[in-house]
Amino acid sequence: MTATDLTATDAVFTVESGSRRAEFLRLFIQPIAVAVLVVGVLVWAFSSDLDAIELSVLNASTLLQAVWQHMLISVVVTVLVVVVAIPLGVLVTRRWARPLIPVVVGAATIGQAAPAIGVIVLYFLFTGQEGLWGAAIPLAFVSLLPVLRNTMVGIQQVDPSLVDAGRGIGMSAFTVLRRVELPLAVPLILAGLRTSLVLAVCTATLATFINGGGLGFIIDTGYKVARTSVLLTGATLSLSLALLVDWLGALAERYLGPKGLR
Amino acid sequence: MRRLVGLLATAALLAGCGLDSAYKLPFDVTPGSIKPVPELEGVRIKVGSKNFTEQILLGYIAQVALTAAGADVEDLTNIQGSTTVRQALEVGDVDLYWEYTGTSWITFQGETKPIPDEQAQYDAVKKADAEQFGIAWLNYSPVNDKYALATTREFADKYGLRTMSDMFALLRKDPSLGTFCMESEFISRQDGLLGAEQTYGYDVPTRDIKTFGVGAIYAALAGGRTCNFGEVFTTDGRVLTMDLAVLDDDKKTFPQYNAAVTVREDFLKKYPRLAEVLDPVSAKLNNDVILKLSVKIDGDGVDPAVVARDWMVEQGFVTKPPD
Repeated sequence: MTATDLTATDAVFTVESGSRRAEFLRLFIQPIAVAVLVVGVLVWAFSSDLDAIELSVLNASTLLQAVWQHMLISVVVTVLVVVVAIPLGVLVTRRWARPLIPVVVGAATIGQAAPAIGVIVLYFLFTGQEGLWGAAIPLAFVSLLPVLRNTMVGIQQVDPSLVDAGRGIGMSAFTVLRRVELPLAVPLILAGLRTSLVLAVCTATLATFINGGGLGFIIDTGYKVARTSVLLTGATLSLSLALLVDWLGALAERYLGPKGLR
Repeated sequence: MRRLVGLLATAALLAGCGLDSAYKLPFDVTPGSIKPVPELEGVRIKVGSKNFTEQILLGYIAQVALTAAGADVEDLTNIQGSTTVRQALEVGDVDLYWEYTGTSWITFQGETKPIPDEQAQYDAVKKADAEQFGIAWLNYSPVNDKYALATTREFADKYGLRTMSDMFALLRKDPSLGTFCMESEFISRQDGLLGAEQTYGYDVPTRDIKTFGVGAIYAALAGGRTCNFGEVFTTDGRVLTMDLAVLDDDKKTFPQYNAAVTVREDFLKKYPRLAEVLDPVSAKLNNDVILKLSVKIDGDGVDPAVVARDWMVEQGFVTKPPD
């Protein structure tokens, strides 16, 4: 019998709505809604009478490039968040590192509380770094908190008696972490990751201000020259991307969590 | 729909300003060459502006002038985004603000080709805006907040660049020097980069164009590492403070952006003497004045309302009341 099985009936944090049917339906409906949105806005935009300014943005190559850049930034941000936040979250829950919690959480909170546009531009002004990395590094800082917080909470909510039991049957501290604490924290970590992902996709629209490209370029152009078709296309595409990523997050939560907790 | 958005935006803005019931100038002014106008006595006039230094300054200049004429001025400067201010004007949340001929032509009239001559561009905008939206334009000012390409003083001296022709001649010899920092709007508009490329007969490769926010361009340019050339505005104080060399648009590709007070036609009909108060002020302004005053605001941190008043006093339009 593994430790996971022991807690299968214990109260476990969940971000699902409670109704399995509703969740299941959502898994199907969300991608369909995204597809309908994207096709709808593209058909609407391309079928209207576009002037030269609109055409300079609303063409396949510009749009595809913007979407690609946007996804690239989001992916890099996510990887950075996972690589930084999860180990950091694990680290600060170790008994000897607990005094660090206020510092780490404080820094991450500042990251999320500060306006993303400010963080991006300040980072550029201080380092001179532009483009993909110039956008991804400050954005990772901005979307760090949910994963960090959830990793910490996920580990802290593990029943201490389970940890004791693990140690009692001769597991090392690391094995307890790997086989007891982390598996039990996975659902929460995934929930945090989903939030971080959506944050990353949304804030990636700001990358355009430091030569990072992405859908922000379309939105910014549409707004500045008051071309609603351009603005709406950019906004809808980034919204759809966020919904899609949220959906992927939901899938991950569903299928990547430990079996015993599903 | 557009009206609703404008209304909501303005409502949000007003709510955001908190409980302060009146937005007034923080000082009194007394008449100078601008005399009290009985027609305007006690009339509530809401003066708006966009959200950058020059606009805020122009907004306060109008407020000082109207206050001296006896109007009861309400300060609604620093509204985020050009289209928001315009919507506020159209629905009556704002009674007047300074708009640029080129902006209106491209953004509100929906045209794509600018008119190269200042006067002709102004006339065309004035006519079209009255017909399409019922917005009237007072006389335009020599202030012409145009696009320009700039580089660092050092770079300009090194290669002897004075005009855009010089720049493109240099790039034909050495294309690798042609890295540009630009804003999204400048890249998409027909009269921005595209127009310049056509007029001067040079194609900037897409990979050499870097997109930045307006504010970041100046820093990117002054830093000298990110790009050699950048899009700037001719009246931006940072041109002076960061010692940038603005390249002369010798073939006149960039559109005209003369500033003029815009006001709803019905409002102007009701108070036609608004024009008498504001036109002389508008005529006295020019790019050098704006540059100089912007540096006071952005560089020295003086309150824009105070800078506006001091200039108006210096020009004799108004006087400071004795303490």
